[in-house]
Amino acid sequence: MDNTDILATEIDDIDTIKSEVLKKISELAFDNRLDEADTIAFELIPGVRPRFRCCVYREREIIRQRVRMAMGKLPTDSHYKDLDPSLMVHVISSACEGCPIARYTVTDNCQNCLTHKCIKVCPFGAISRTPRGSVIDKTLCRNCGKCAEACPYSAIVDIIRPCVKVCPVDAINMDKNDIAVIDKDKCINCGACVTGCPFGAISDVSMITNVINLLLDHTKKVYAVVAPSIQGQFGKDISLGMIKGAILNLGFDGIYEAAEGADSVAYMEAKELLEFKKEGKPLLSSCCPSFFTLVENYFPELKDNVSTLVPPMAASAIYIKNMDPDAEIVFIGPCISKKADVLSNYINIISAVLTFEELVAMLRAKRINIRNQADMSSDSSSYGKGFARSGGVAQAIRKVVSELEGDEASSSLEIQICDGSKECINALKLLKHNRLRVDFVEGMCCTGGCIAGPSVLQDASHTKKLFKPSDEDTSIESAVLKLRINELDIHRT
Amino acid sequence: MEIRVCIGSSCYLKGSREVINELNQLIKENSLNSMVSLKGSFCMGKCSVDGVTVSCDDKFYFVEPDDVDDFFEKVIVPSIPRAI
Ligand code: FES
Repeated sequence: MDNTDILATEIDDIDTIKSEVLKKISELAFDNRLDEADTIAFELIPGVRPRFRCCVYREREIIRQRVRMAMGKLPTDSHYKDLDPSLMVHVISSACEGCPIARYTVTDNCQNCLTHKCIKVCPFGAISRTPRGSVIDKTLCRNCGKCAEACPYSAIVDIIRPCVKVCPVDAINMDKNDIAVIDKDKCINCGACVTGCPFGAISDVSMITNVINLLLDHTKKVYAVVAPSIQGQFGKDISLGMIKGAILNLGFDGIYEAAEGADSVAYMEAKELLEFKKEGKPLLSSCCPSFFTLVENYFPELKDNVSTLVPPMAASAIYIKNMDPDAEIVFIGPCISKKADVLSNYINIISAVLTFEELVAMLRAKRINIRNQADMSSDSSSYGKGFARSGGVAQAIRKVVSELEGDEASSSLEIQICDGSKECINALKLLKHNRLRVDFVEGMCCTGGCIAGPSVLQDASHTKKLFKPSDEDTSIESAVLKLRINELDIHRT
Repeated sequence: MEIRVCIGSSCYLKGSREVINELNQLIKENSLNSMVSLKGSFCMGKCSVDGVTVSCDDKFYFVEPDDVDDFFEKVIVPSIPRAI
């Protein structure tokens, strides 16, 4: 995507339908006209000729469900038992195509050969020959995959529904109509299915109208806390300072970086690590909420290994609340899981969470030109900013340890970096059985780190290079002392 | 015990934020942090009722921002499990 176009797009694919709905909702919310939200479906899908789906009625129904989600509601009226505040992603049932779930399928590549290796290797007798080639009987097939391996023409393929394939914890099933259903007890809110579904049929619920409401209420002081990964999201010529300026222009009373919180989290976490190391106990990072949920729900025996520090966004929020106890705080990040984290754990200090997608919708609704912004300064270290990418937490921890105990202590630390849910799960399995001898585990569920989160605006390959720690930096310790966050309690309760 | 306050758009306009802030304050004042956890929830499908939807042990209550004290005293406090 050409980044200059982020703020001015035409509907041409799934992402733009979602952002169009979010923009319309923002406009109505800023104008105090949310009661007109019903009109959005007709505005976006006028006439009788369908553009994306079978008919305009279905297209409008999809938009209606998206409008509901933009307003903090479930896509359909379902019973409260299906809704859990810990579940942030929901299937838009009208948008789900119920993709074929037959896994092993014989394609046109089948040459109807004479040996029919596929038939011979199938342990379940599920394959038979027909004049037009081999055929798999779906009722007998158990998805062992032997036939696909045996076929010399690679004519048998394994088709897995994209949502099922990307879900790291196997939380997606099909209902009797083949519509995807998310198991709320298994889901870790990582958002992989949101970006994985080619029909955009899985989406996150939004708090955007709440945020706009806060901004319109002039009796309240509203502060934004932005995730470090926001740097570079609007293209390479738009600096972090300009992005901060644009956000302030939405009506926020102040803006802070979660990277400032990250500096102090790194500082305290490194101290905790040194304590743990004495006891020979590995410490797990606590900043990624999906990693945290993964440990809590799937590896409860490792719960005591997780760092007791709050995530950086909460550390920054505690800092703001300390200055202004009545502050209303909005976290802005690339992450869906943070929404769940805030609703479940930090609702007393953080009022709402916005994704980058939702931020763009608000900027578009207010017609704020990001290019005309003055460049604001930044108080965080390059290490705090580095929390945005895989390996960054580990780097910050090493840096603090070398500041506290010297270079040797730092380089002797054994650190395992887990990049993405799969690596996280593998490492946790090994840890559980005492097969992984390390001092520290950095876990991030998005492959690449937060810069590859489900709602980023740029591909991580473009933004990655912005997050190299720089040695010109003052020490993390001095960044922490400057803001005196070390005097506050930033531990989880 | 878990208290979930609805932050869906309808409840939000009816004062979710005030309800959350006040409950948080009351929980702190009464040192119930370890016994009561305060959470947010998206729309619970009861927008048409007056007051902010609050669920507590799977029962629903509708709380006006001005009545939080009352709600806390009459509903929350009695339902905290007693230490024998
Ligand atoms: S918004 Fe609270 S019940 Fe619907």
